[in-house]
Amino acid sequence: MAEKVKYLSPEWRDEAERRLTAELPPEKMNFVTSSMSNIYRNCPDGSEKYLYFKFVDGKFAEMLIGEGESPKPEFAITGNYETFAKITRGELNAQKALMTLKLKLKGNMVKALRLASLADRLNKVLATIPTDY
Amino acid sequence: MTTQPNAPYFIDFPKRIKNIQEQMQKENIDVYLGSRLRTLSWTTDAFFPWRSFIVIPPEGLPTAFTFVIDAARAADDSWLGEDHVYGFAPMGGQDQIEQISDFIKELLKNGKGRVGVESGMSNYLPEGWLTHYEYQQFDAAMPDAELVNAHTIVDKLALIKDAGTINRFKEASRIVDVGHQAVFDAIKDGGYKGMTETEIAGIAALAMRRAGSEWEWSFTGGNEIASGYRTGYAGGACTPASRREIQAGEPLMVDIHATFKLGLGDHAHNYLIGPATDRQRWHADNFVSIVKKTLETYRAGITPSLLAEQMMDFSEQGGFADYMVPGYEHGIGLLGDEWRIGLNDGPFPFWTNPDHVYQENEVLICAMQYACPDENIGFRYENPIVLFKDHCEEMSKFPLAIEEIA
Repeated sequence: MAEKVKYLSPEWRDEAERRLTAELPPEKMNFVTSSMSNIYRNCPDGSEKYLYFKFVDGKFAEMLIGEGESPKPEFAITGNYETFAKITRGELNAQKALMTLKLKLKGNMVKALRLASLADRLNKVLATIPTDY
Repeated sequence: MTTQPNAPYFIDFPKRIKNIQEQMQKENIDVYLGSRLRTLSWTTDAFFPWRSFIVIPPEGLPTAFTFVIDAARAADDSWLGEDHVYGFAPMGGQDQIEQISDFIKELLKNGKGRVGVESGMSNYLPEGWLTHYEYQQFDAAMPDAELVNAHTIVDKLALIKDAGTINRFKEASRIVDVGHQAVFDAIKDGGYKGMTETEIAGIAALAMRRAGSEWEWSFTGGNEIASGYRTGYAGGACTPASRREIQAGEPLMVDIHATFKLGLGDHAHNYLIGPATDRQRWHADNFVSIVKKTLETYRAGITPSLLAEQMMDFSEQGGFADYMVPGYEHGIGLLGDEWRIGLNDGPFPFWTNPDHVYQENEVLICAMQYACPDENIGFRYENPIVLFKDHCEEMSKFPLAIEEIA
């Protein structure tokens, strides 16, 4: 796939799902069961969007993109659209974004620490999608 | 964590939470935000050495919050488990004020209600009262909630000790006795020569750790050792071990501390390093006699002021009242609770009420200090005691005496 897709569009979602299923088998996700939502504020069209992931026993189970309230996740990360875009483009470290209040995490931090490396793996896969932000 | 009801160290922590929730309801408190170390210990059965909080909802399990680097360990030690022990950190949405206030707001209807906090003062530094800054920040983060002082709820419930708590204190006291025996064995027959106070503290610590102690818990310096003139400080109730060498012809005070499942051992024993003078022996005999008298007097129904009066009369008759520090106790409970006796109902806020009437199954430290700075001599006695209707039981069984060490 060489053609760029628009970030958070249905095409981007389909491509993300295809890559996550192919590249993150359950053993790479430590057989984890968890869910996470990225809440995008100040999207280019002025809306607030969410990107919701769910893994069951390490298997990619669900990915939803929508507007308004996200399904209740175990972890929710909230920030500006541009912040998430910078992270996905590799221009900003996610941890630094959290430590400088550019992102806010809700959920049990102790569990989040254990899942940090998995989130990194997931983000790295998403970063490979040719994307138009 | 001791979960078997018939186990000697079992404490019914879920029942404690329900008791707090019943009191919350009676006092119209919607959520209790505890911040004192004693409250954390009493509700979670785990040691929370970092700044920590516990949020108790109107029903269901509480959730503890602590510095993220220690949260997994605390969750493992506590009966609450990882779903009810959160870690906070300097990250967006994860600092203690935002994390805890968001958590509380979800428990309140539309963010409105009364939140009980723990506000007060203490001579005990690690108490953990809510600070002024924390109060302001929580108040601002929960604009529709009213913060009200509610520490009395926990204080009342924690006053009378249950069997599991008393047994933990007894085991910690047994461990302290092991430490005292190790010190005695090390210093006797000239073994004290060249030894420093810090070394004695270490000998006791090693023996007690071998016997199962988790920590020499006292914030006054762990194992407190005083020799020579250091035993006779006026008021003299805090002597972290120094590098001073033990000398012949001097007194030696050994006050050691062990922890067992948050139960606290605390026993002070005294020696005269020979050769002792008649005058030193006289001081020592005075002290042993008043400790015996005090232990015979402690029981339910007596008050701190009544006991002090009787003991000062006794020391006056014995001609040594000038050397007695006129206090005979301090409060004690699971780790973090080492301050006043009873409740905050005395003439001086947050100090022991001298007219507190002791009840059966209260536990306190019988704590006595004899100080004669002019003669470079003093003694200390400390021992956890449990009160019964007509007597008290000393938990540390190391024989009361002031031995002369050759």
